[in-house]
Amino acid sequence: MYPQLTTGAYSQFPLRKQRRTRTVTNMAADGSSIKLADPNGALTEWQLRYDGLSDTELNNLQQFFAATEGSLNGFTFLDPAGNLLAWSEDFTNAVWEAGPFLAIAAGVTDPFGETRAFNLTNSGEGVQSVTQTLNVPTGYIYSLSVYLQAGQPTTVTLLLGSNTVQAIAGTNWTRISVTGSGDPTAASILCGIELPPGVIGVFGPQVDVQAAPSAYQKSTTGGVYQDARFGDDTFSFATTDVNRHSVTVNIVYANHL
Amino acid sequence: MATFPPLKTGAVAQYPAIKSLRFQNQIVRFVDGNEQRYRDSAGPLHQWVIRLDQLDETELASLEDFFLSNQGSFASFIFIDPWDGTSYPNCSAGSDQLELTSVEELQNTTSLTVTENRG
Repeated sequence: MYPQLTTGAYSQFPLRKQRRTRTVTNMAADGSSIKLADPNGALTEWQLRYDGLSDTELNNLQQFFAATEGSLNGFTFLDPAGNLLAWSEDFTNAVWEAGPFLAIAAGVTDPFGETRAFNLTNSGEGVQSVTQTLNVPTGYIYSLSVYLQAGQPTTVTLLLGSNTVQAIAGTNWTRISVTGSGDPTAASILCGIELPPGVIGVFGPQVDVQAAPSAYQKSTTGGVYQDARFGDDTFSFATTDVNRHSVTVNIVYANHL
Repeated sequence: MATFPPLKTGAVAQYPAIKSLRFQNQIVRFVDGNEQRYRDSAGPLHQWVIRLDQLDETELASLEDFFLSNQGSFASFIFIDPWDGTSYPNCSAGSDQLELTSVEELQNTTSLTVTENRG
């Protein structure tokens, strides 16, 4: 698995990401055009620049590069600047698994004044959950965060693998989070919210691959890229001082590879 | 139809902002130096270069999501001209490439060209 730094960070600033799509365009003489999209031609590329790496961190990165044999073998890469959850603004999407007594209503005013939040109504007598399974390396440190609101203070539980945290959803929108890793023997990690009977407003679920949540980012495809690769066959680093190294690596993910 | 996403402030562009318009005229030149010119299109097409700095992660993700959901330059959207508020109903991204840079937390930059389409 792609090595996380000892701080739990997955990358450092500055971070560069490039999105490329492919559109075939026929341009007519009058300036009008006919376009055809090619979804399989999409490509995402990250440039990760690391400074001040310790010997151990450099060694981990170098060993990982050797294990993938440069650009030859694929690995799971998590977007360091993205929300790992898919469809963060659509709890009705099939990626979310909702309990049978949970009704989902869209169009609720969110903390940013728009109407992207949801009301989750638990009509059962016990707790109900809405969860999403992430097929990611479980050894990393993750942070799950979500905005919650309720008509009266209600205790809600956040689930991140076996890590749970209980928080009070009050009358104002509050962002709560839980940090932790998954079961080291598992191949996936379950993320979600456990709700007691009643109505809870929910907005902006997000999983970051770091120890604390970043600002909320809307997602559709999610930030988990299976079969990403190094963009180069060369790994070069500069040693700037004792136990201090700098490296730049390029990671590429293409739908068609 | 989708609309180009505004920033949290409600703005769609920042300084320096670039706008251009392009006609499509043809010229026939004769041996004696005279020439005839004619319009080869129904009117001008507009283009805006939107360079954005100091975005937070939410704004950057919103633009990235918008670019992906439009499949780059493929799909059309409504663009409100930040100069005069005119709504252009048939616009698309000018290229199939979007570069996003995170300089540090809450310091993200990107740039996008919006092109008006005909037909």
